[in-house]
Formats: sequence, structure tokens, C-alpha cells
Amino acid sequence: MRISGVHQVPFGPDRVWDALLDPAVLVATIPGCERLEAIPRDGAEPAYAMTVTAGVAAIRGTYAGHCTLSDLVPHRSLVMALSGTGAPGTVDATVRVGFAEVEPGVTRIEYDADAVVGGMVGGVGQRMLTSVSRRMAAEFFDNVANALAGGGVPAEAGEPAAAAPAATVFTAPPRPASSRQDFLAGIAVGAGLVLAGVIAGAAFGRRR
Amino acid sequence: MTTKLMGTKVARVEDERFLRGQGRYADDVLAGPHTLHAAVLRSPHAHARIRDIDVDAVLDLDGVHAVWTYDDLDGPMAEPLPLLIPHPALTHGRTQYALANGEVNHVGEAVAFVVADDRYVAEDALDRIRVDYEVLPAVVGIDRARAAEHLVHDDVPGNIGARLEQQNGDARAAIDAAPHTLSLDLTVERSACTPLEGRGTVARWDPDSGRLQVWTSTQTSTGVRAAVAAKLGLDLGRVDVITPDVGGGFGVKINHPWPEELLVPLAAIRLGRPVKFTEDRREHFVSSAHERGQVHHVEVGFDDEGRILGLDVQFWHDHGAYTPYGLIVPIITSTQLLGPYKPGAYRVVFESLYTNTVMVTPYRGAGRPQGCFVMERTMDAIAAALGKDRAEVRAANFIQPDEFPYDQGLIFQDGRELEYDSGDYPALLEKIKALVGWDDFPARKAAAAAEGRRLGIGLACYVEGTGVGPYEGAHVHVETSGRVKVATGLTTQGQGHQTVFAQLVADVLGVPMEDVEVVTGDTRRMPYAVGTFASRAAVMSGSAVHLAALRTKEKALRIAAEALEVDEGDLELADGVVRVKGAPESQISLGTVAVLSNPLRYAFDEASKAATQFSVGDPGKPPVAEDDEPGLEGTDFYSPERSTFASGMHAVIVETDPDTAEIKILQYAVAHDCGNLINPMIVEGQIHGGVAQGVAGALFERMAYDDSGQLLNASFMDFLMPYVTEVPESIDIDHQETPSPLNPLGIKGAGEAGVIPSAAVFAAAIEDAEGIPITAMPISPSELFELRRHHASEEDS
Repeated sequence: MRISGVHQVPFGPDRVWDALLDPAVLVATIPGCERLEAIPRDGAEPAYAMTVTAGVAAIRGTYAGHCTLSDLVPHRSLVMALSGTGAPGTVDATVRVGFAEVEPGVTRIEYDADAVVGGMVGGVGQRMLTSVSRRMAAEFFDNVANALAGGGVPAEAGEPAAAAPAATVFTAPPRPASSRQDFLAGIAVGAGLVLAGVIAGAAFGRRR
Repeated sequence: MTTKLMGTKVARVEDERFLRGQGRYADDVLAGPHTLHAAVLRSPHAHARIRDIDVDAVLDLDGVHAVWTYDDLDGPMAEPLPLLIPHPALTHGRTQYALANGEVNHVGEAVAFVVADDRYVAEDALDRIRVDYEVLPAVVGIDRARAAEHLVHDDVPGNIGARLEQQNGDARAAIDAAPHTLSLDLTVERSACTPLEGRGTVARWDPDSGRLQVWTSTQTSTGVRAAVAAKLGLDLGRVDVITPDVGGGFGVKINHPWPEELLVPLAAIRLGRPVKFTEDRREHFVSSAHERGQVHHVEVGFDDEGRILGLDVQFWHDHGAYTPYGLIVPIITSTQLLGPYKPGAYRVVFESLYTNTVMVTPYRGAGRPQGCFVMERTMDAIAAALGKDRAEVRAANFIQPDEFPYDQGLIFQDGRELEYDSGDYPALLEKIKALVGWDDFPARKAAAAAEGRRLGIGLACYVEGTGVGPYEGAHVHVETSGRVKVATGLTTQGQGHQTVFAQLVADVLGVPMEDVEVVTGDTRRMPYAVGTFASRAAVMSGSAVHLAALRTKEKALRIAAEALEVDEGDLELADGVVRVKGAPESQISLGTVAVLSNPLRYAFDEASKAATQFSVGDPGKPPVAEDDEPGLEGTDFYSPERSTFASGMHAVIVETDPDTAEIKILQYAVAHDCGNLINPMIVEGQIHGGVAQGVAGALFERMAYDDSGQLLNASFMDFLMPYVTEVPESIDIDHQETPSPLNPLGIKGAGEAGVIPSAAVFAAAIEDAEGIPITAMPISPSELFELRRHHASEEDS
């Protein structure tokens, strides 16, 4: 399944990229994302673990995901290999993401994901994944833009988990899921995971 | 005199029960709280190695009684499942394990098995199992299987499970010498039976009697019994398999044993509690079986009349990940493709290919819809090439009524010669032409065209080998009440066996039909049987029931003759009594005959006093003669030399919307010949159901796999099953009866017929309406729309 899209954010690539670096922002803005963790891999390409809980009705569940980054070009582009597994299904994806300043203070973000969505989500929800994932992406980028407009980290942003060493684990703050968001997340949980992975990857990739 | 029931439209005795919701299916058995429930963890990947399965999180879950992976199986259970129908050409047959052994080869393959207090807990437990997969490239579709860039099974080169070639004459030479030649490439996509009741198995181990009882939604009780006994290491005599009501089979349930049919009984024994597995809809889509997917290449040489001089067919059959059912489907395509025709020479070769998709077992029609599609598309192409009427070209190729038995010179799916026993194809063609108004159609089409409407007509003919062996048996028992108990071993999934077999017995024994009770698919009642497939129940069990009833009648006459002190030849059976012809007051009830058939020492009621030792018997003879048995019973078996060949022709008139490409059915006609009819109403019901399923297969249903082997439409929300609104409101039917010489009743099978010519007949009608070649089925309005655009752009360029 191909999922691709384009979004514009009214901030320059540096600011967007930097905002996306902050896992506290990400964990708060990615729908259903509960936890992000950098996996130490000496000298190798960076890799991360994350947990996303999403779903509706029978296909609700928690997904454990991993992503590995490559071809990092700061403020420009990256490629990410992602895999996620949860009771409702599995996702394996390769995602290319590009950032470009189309005019001063405006960043155009392009993503192109080639995803294999399996399990129950693959057989039941796949028909709707492509269109719903685009809407989810738009929602996510709006959240990020709002966070930037609000002065970087939003007030309700996530915090480093108390027990986590060296602040490499971030958990989401409690937040009421809007019914729309919950529904979208449920149907397109696979796609959501792909997109969440894109952003998480971009952020952590830069930090290292 | 009792009216003869064979050939009459007797109302189905099953229907009251079904319509009142009193059917009793596998899931209704042992519904109490003592029963445990099983659920299966299935692979989310089409092709992967299993590195590790972690079940730790399940072990301490409340309500879970067992969690098994492959490592928990031993002995025969740890071996691959049986390859049911071996064939010398199936050089690389592979079957799955009850639980995946290190590798999965399709989405849905069973990986782990959980037994819990209820299905909710069982599914929650599945969620906690962590499987570490190494995902491998998936082989999906015939093109990629043939390209063999990746292999489904490492030890199967080219993904080729089998290659089989058959010929009759030198087709290549005949084509080369023919005045006209054509070649066609024809495709049929995957579809599936999709019975409304999925698979289901319930098992109970009785430690007191040391017996295992298994209820399962199958098309073969005896097959499951043999497999369960072998895999679980039990004596056959300790295993009972009972098939309750079955909510549809259509072929998929002839495969056995499914992993769950073994795991559930094993769990019942190990846990000492009844265990039940009921498949859900999504599971059925990804873990049962599909069919139909084939790609064909045809080369044909013909003369000026359209007579086929040489026919050379190559095709590729997508059999999915495993081959438990052998080569039955492609063998049927390769042989039944010939239909009612006699080409001068014929060669057919097929390759049966592995893909990382659900395996294949026969689906109603079983390879014939594809064969019919290939042959009938070829006939239409010949007619188009010669500018001849399509019916005329077919008539020029028919086997004639005086040519039976007609040997096609090939080996059929039962390992016997493909020899047609009887039929009359020219007469059938006249019937279908009259029924659909074939000769008047050009005028009708022109009139519609003048109004801006597009009409098209299609015709398709088939021959179906039905009633394949090896045998079926029946047991008829007259109780002392006069009621008759009939048992046959094959199973029932809605065909009306309780009605038609009772009709046959009532006719022979002269008893009211309501006094006859028929049991099917219960190994306790008839342990020797094969199964319900290949339109064989009426032919096989019908014949066996008839023969067993005749044996019972013989015995009744013998006993009654002795009791009435008359000659057997002077007796007749009618209205539940044996009476003297012409002197009906001299009679004895069949129940009394049953009493007398069993010499007693002890009376248990008034009637039985008549059979005790001081009441009857010749003191000079043993009470049961040397070559006799007690009881008014008869058992017999029917085992034919070869299949009997039914035939039929369908015609359809469609209208296609010039803007939306929607395909509307205006008229549907069926002329068919299944020999003598036992119950014309049931035969018509079979035709209605078959046509409906054929419409589904031609215009709606398909398996939408993506490149990674995920089935994208694994639900009834996405898999388009037609409603009654999409099926023709009325179907015009004409019966022709050419009795089969191979069985005592002269009958041929009718169960699958309705679905066989659908793809062919709709393709022909749509092509006629549109003037665009239709070479792939099924076809949706969007596909027809795209074909129009493609065709228009080709004409422009």
C-alpha cells in the first residue's frame, strides 16, 4: 500500500525540524502515541522503540513499533524502515520524507510510504487506510504547527518518564481523545503508526 | 395403491425445522458452561520464518487451560497433515502442519492454539502471545509464481507442484493443417465458497466408555474420523464423528482434517473437558480454502463450419500454499473443458503452482467453470472469426445422441476413463434457444439499440461428470412400530437428503413418507462412506438407499409369505402393509413383519409376544436360518464403474449501461439434463442456488490480494456477495431427462450444475452487448468502463 502526501507548515524548516526533534512534543501530538525510547546502537544507524495505543471496537490494541533511520540529510530528507506489531495487526513500511522551504517561513513536508499492513487491520480496514491516513497526517501537522505557534513545547506536552535513565523515554500526558481522532486512529491505526514513526524517526535522527 | 414419489415435487421435510430456527449446527452442540472454547493465533504475514514464540504472558492468565505451539505436538500430530489425494504428477506435494513448524506460508496459517473458559478469554490470550517473525518475500498471483524470482517452499523449484499433460490425437499437427486458427489468453480470478456457517468442531472425550465423539461441520464424517483416529493414535472403533446441520459447504468443507479438527479433539482428551472451536468470518476468509484462480492459453484450428480440428490448451493453476486436495481441480478443468464437444484432436497441459495465499480445494463447479469459460470463449471466437451464428458453431461440434457411450480418450478426476454415458446435446440446444428466444434476439437487440440501449445475449454449454466413486452405502431398518430408519454415511449441507432419500425408500417399501426418517453423516449409523462432493449424493447414496430398501423389501416379502402362507410373488407392499395382490384383506403390517423377523425369547410388549419361542417357528429349523440375520433390515452399497455425465446449457440476456457500465440481467434461461429427477422442485432449487452463486462469481466476488499476500477484502463488508436483488428475479428452466445407464435409478448429479457456465455465459453476453472481447472474469462495472476506454483508445491509435 502506498501512502503519500504533502503538507505545508507556516514555519521555516529549521524551526519545524527542531520542533520535531523534541520527543516531548511528539509524544503529545502524535495520535495515540504513549511512549518513545531511543535504542542505544553504538555507531550504527539510529533506532527507536515506540508504543501506540489506538483503535476502535474490535481492532483496538497496543502496537509496539521499531524504526531505523538511514540517508539522513539534516533539514532536508531521511528514509525510515519501520515495523510495528500489535494484536490487531502488523505494519512494515519504508518511508521517504522530504522537507523544503517553499517560501521564507513556510516548510513543505512530503512523505511517501510503501507500507504492508497485515493481520486484522490489513483484511478489514485497509480499504479506508489511505484516505484516513492523509487526514490523520493533516491533523498531526496542525498539532505541530499549533505547538510552534504556542512557543515550542505546548503546555500539556509530555515529560520524561521519572524512572527513565538520561531522559531517553518519553510518555504522553493524559489527554481526552476527541471522538473523531479516536475513530480515525482506530480505522487507520496502521497508517498512524507509519506516520508516527516518520516523525519520531526524524526527530531522534536529528538529535543524535 | 401408494402414489409413486420419485419424480414428484415433494415438499422438503427439512424446511420447517430450518425456517423455525431449529437447525442444530456445530456451534449449538454442547452449549453448556462445562465446554471450553478454542481460538487460534494466525499468521499476519504471507511468508515468514518464525524465530520465536513467547507464550509466557498467557500462562498465568485466568481462565486459560492450554496454550500450544508446534513444540507441544508430538507423534503423528507433529507430522504434516495428510496429502489426501496423491497423484503421480504431483511431484512436489506439500501440506501444512497442525500448527506452523518454523515457517508460515499464507496470512491466516495457524501458529498457536489456546483453550480457555470462553472465546473472549481465548482471544485475549492470543493477544498476549508474541511471535518474532522474519518476514520473507511473498509470492502472490500466477505471474509471480511462474517467474519464480522467489520460492514459496525452498525445496520446490519454480514453485511448480505438478505438471500434467494429456492428449487425444495430435493436436499440434491438426492445428497446423487447419484452414483457420486462433489463439486466446483467458483468465479467471480467485474466489471462494463462503458458506454462511464457517468451520466448526466440538469434541468430547468420555473416559468411562473410552470413546471420543466429534461433531464437525464437514462434507465427510468418515474422512474426519479416519484422520482423527490416525493422528491421535486411537482405534477407529473408539472415534465417532457426527455431522450436525451444516450451514453450507460448497466444497470447502470437503477438505479434512483442518488443524482445528485435530487440535480440538486432542484438547478434549488432554483436558478432560468438552472443547469447541467456531470459526469467525475473517478466519474463514484467510484460513480455509479458495479456488478458481487460473490463467489459460488456447490455440485452436478449425474448418469453415467451425468444427474444431485441433485444440491445444495450456494453463496455470494457482493452488495456494499447500496441496492437501491434490490435483483434482486442474484435472477437472483439463478434462471437463471439452464439454459436449468432440474436437478432432486435443492436448492439454497444466502446471499447478504454489503461491503464498490460502490453499485451494474444490468450490462448487470445481474447475469446470474455468474449463467451460475457456471452451465457450473459444466457440464464440470461432463464430466471430467465421461470421457464423454462435449456436450453429456449437452444434457443428456436438457429440451426437447415437455416439454414446462416448470416450474422450482422457483420464478423469476419479482415475477412470472420461467416457460420457448418455446425453442429447442437439435437443438441449433447441430447448435453450426456444427458452431464451435466441433466434428473435437480433431484432430485439436492434430495437433496443434504436432507443440507445445496449443488449447482449450469451450462450454456454457444459457437461459435468457427477457421482464419482468409489462408493456409498445405506442401511434401512424397519422398526417394530413400522417406522423406517434410514442411514447413509455421506453428509448433508442443505441439499434435502432427508426428503429425497425418504422418497426413494417410501416408494420401495410402500410406506408413508412421514414414516421414513433419514440420518446422514453419522459414523455410528453408517461407518462406511466417502463424502458429499462432485454432485454425487443423489447418484451414490440415492442408489445405495434404493438398493438397501430393495433388500429390506425382499426380506419383508419372505417373512410375510411365510406368515400369510402364500407365495412371495403374490404379495405387494403398500400403505405400510404387506398384502396379497387382489385380496388386500389378507395382509400383515410391516411393523409385525419386523417383529417376526427377530425371533425372541423374551417379550417386551403385546406385539413382541408374537415373536417369542412358544408362538412361532418351525421346531425342525433353526430360528434364524443359516444365511439369514435377525431384524427387518437391509444394507447395500453402490459403486459405479465410472461417473455419469450430466449436461446443460445456459443463456443470458444482459443490458449494459452506456454511461456507468452497470451490468443488468434481463433474462436468464437454463436447459439441463440430470437424467431422471427424484424431486424436480429440489433440482430447480439447486439450479436457482447455482445460478445465484454463478452471478456472484461472474460479476461480484473475487479475492483481492495485495502484492504482499494480504487479503484486502476479508469481510462481508468488502467481499461483494450479491443480495437477492442482484440475482435474476426469475430463471426459466427446462428439464431434459436422458437416464443414466450406470445406476438403478437412471439419475445424474445436479448440485453444482447451476454455477458452471456462469463466467462463460456472462462474458459472452457482455461481449455481445459491447463489441469488446471479454477475456477475464469476473468483471465489475469499473472494469468494463476501463475496457471501454482502453478499447476506444486502441481504435483511435
